[in-house]
Amino acid sequence: MEEERDLSEYRARLLNGLEVGARRSACDSSDSIQVFVNERRAGQLDGRGTDATFQLYNDTRINNVQLRSEDGVLLGGLSGPEYGFRTSRIQLSRDAVELRIHNTAQGGSANVVFMPAPHRWRWLWQTFSGTADTAIGGRAAAVVPGIRIIALTQALLAIIVLGLAADRITAWLTPERTPPTGTQAEAPWAAPLVEVAKLEQQLGDLARMQAKTAHTVQSQQQGMAQLQLAIAKLSSTQETVASGMQAIKLEMEKRKKGGGRETTHMTRLLMSKAQMEQEQLEAQIHSLTVANEQMAKEMAALAQHNQELEKKLRSAEPDVSKASVLDRDHPVIAQEVEVSQQPPRSQIAEAGGNAQAFLFWVNFSEGTTQESIAQWVSEMHGSRGVVNEGWQEVRVMKPPIPTDRFLEQIRGAQIVKAVRVTR
Amino acid sequence: MSDRTGDSGRLELAVSTPEEFDRVVSQALPVLLERARNYTKRFMRETGQWCDDTAHEKFTLRWSAEYVERFILCGRSEVPCRPLFLLDSFVAKQHSQPDPFCYHPNLLTPLGRFLDGLVARAVISRDALIALYHHCYGMGPRDVIAVTGLNDSESQRVYKNFQRWRDSGWRRTMNEIGLTDAELDELIGHQERHPQRLNHEAEQIIRLAQSHYRKSEPDHYPCLLRSQWEEMFSEGYGCDYRLWHLVLCMDCVQTAWDLGCNGAITGDKPRVELHVRP
Repeated sequence: MEEERDLSEYRARLLNGLEVGARRSACDSSDSIQVFVNERRAGQLDGRGTDATFQLYNDTRINNVQLRSEDGVLLGGLSGPEYGFRTSRIQLSRDAVELRIHNTAQGGSANVVFMPAPHRWRWLWQTFSGTADTAIGGRAAAVVPGIRIIALTQALLAIIVLGLAADRITAWLTPERTPPTGTQAEAPWAAPLVEVAKLEQQLGDLARMQAKTAHTVQSQQQGMAQLQLAIAKLSSTQETVASGMQAIKLEMEKRKKGGGRETTHMTRLLMSKAQMEQEQLEAQIHSLTVANEQMAKEMAALAQHNQELEKKLRSAEPDVSKASVLDRDHPVIAQEVEVSQQPPRSQIAEAGGNAQAFLFWVNFSEGTTQESIAQWVSEMHGSRGVVNEGWQEVRVMKPPIPTDRFLEQIRGAQIVKAVRVTR
Repeated sequence: MSDRTGDSGRLELAVSTPEEFDRVVSQALPVLLERARNYTKRFMRETGQWCDDTAHEKFTLRWSAEYVERFILCGRSEVPCRPLFLLDSFVAKQHSQPDPFCYHPNLLTPLGRFLDGLVARAVISRDALIALYHHCYGMGPRDVIAVTGLNDSESQRVYKNFQRWRDSGWRRTMNEIGLTDAELDELIGHQERHPQRLNHEAEQIIRLAQSHYRKSEPDHYPCLLRSQWEEMFSEGYGCDYRLWHLVLCMDCVQTAWDLGCNGAITGDKPRVELHVRP
């Protein structure tokens, strides 16, 4: 229950605050006004003349402009349009503030002008102190003569009134008063009365002149206000035109760059494609060249082996003919000699006819690349066969050294892990 | 109820002039406040920030009143419009922002509401901004002028701000936050009995609120190095920056506290010393 009462009281206080509105501010006209743009404090407005106008240019749209007093009370505001202009005049007791928002595609601008209430004594004071211009927002040059006239007439009027008052008081304070007896000679105060009447007439004329002057000044003020509005409109139109021109300029530059960029891009694409094809061709040529060289080497190696085998064959023929002569006499011995002189079948098969290579199987070390293997086989003047369970078949033309020694040499190679002659 | 229905019905109709808008809206303030409150409550429910207690109810009422006040003054320039639905769009736009208000469970205790309300007010009121130096650090006008290095013209203004805050600003802020006299007395009593504990709690809450509300002014948001503060003080520029940022950043006020008055300040670095009353 207490909580509900507390909430009700709170709600009532808030509603009261909303009803009272700006009147709950404790600030006076001498305090500055805070300007908030898009709910962020952007500056301040000083009605005393030093900061009577405020302008802001934003890259983004201006959604709202709010005015707050120094004690935080919301005095007025204006919502920005989606696009275009919007103005509002906010009355602050006797003063006024004119708000203007202009939004475009490129951003927004806000103008805030403080328009203090015309004050008679303020005019007089500012006229004599030479600060008349600041009374009407800085553009009162044309109104100054009118103000001066009014100030002078007011001063004159004040002096005359004071003089009259002093005269009346003096007259009232005079102890003897004799009633008028009829003749002018016997009424010594008749002449002052005439003068008073003249003065009164002059006062009346002055008052009429003052009223006319005030009316003139008021109409001039209105004219100035309209002029200010027109100038503000003109400046914002100018901004729009300038920003439009800039946008057009940017667009044109963009299109130029875009057009040139597209051409350059296409050219680059074509060039890169041509380069790629060229590189591919070069790679193919290189690989063919390498293969050609390898084949040439292999052929040279084979030719050399052929020559060696022919030499061996030639050297083996006299032995065979000797063996055939001995056979007639000692066939058994000849056979034994033939048998003893004959190399093992595998070796014959390998070396015989000068067409068969020495076949063996190699297990290469881990991490050995195919390129290394190919290079090694090439250096051996051999060729690779099948791979079976990690064993690579290799055929080479074995040099004229014992097989065991040859195998030892092969095992000595860094990339060779193991060698065998059988599968 | 029938009055409210009638008010709501008028609000649904289109108005074509600012004067008509003012008239229709001024006659239906309770309806507008209630509608904004419902939307705010729904927003808090949907974002997991709601709890059924008085503190949350007052929180929604406070922000709803802020929305309605802005709507009343800015909405009149949107004519022709239907005021009720314009309010809906206005509140929805506020809630569409990432952080429409500073919410944290710690900010809903009496101490939290007091400090959150003060810092929130400091963002829109110069009186409250200056007074924050007193409520958070126990500084008077001369201390504020010394710490911020203000010139003569600005100094006079500080005295005026303090005076006006004391006369009317503080009371109006407490009313608008929703702190009752009983809650204020409880706070003051707590401060007298356990000042260090309260100051410690206050420091945590102040840092929370400061980091949220400092973002409301991106130009003054960045913290500066001591060398940068030195330059600002010695060159004499950035008066507004110093005044605004130093009270909304505990680290920076401790970094730059002795740079004003050419080092003539005596005493220790500013620490949180909560003062409930002005």
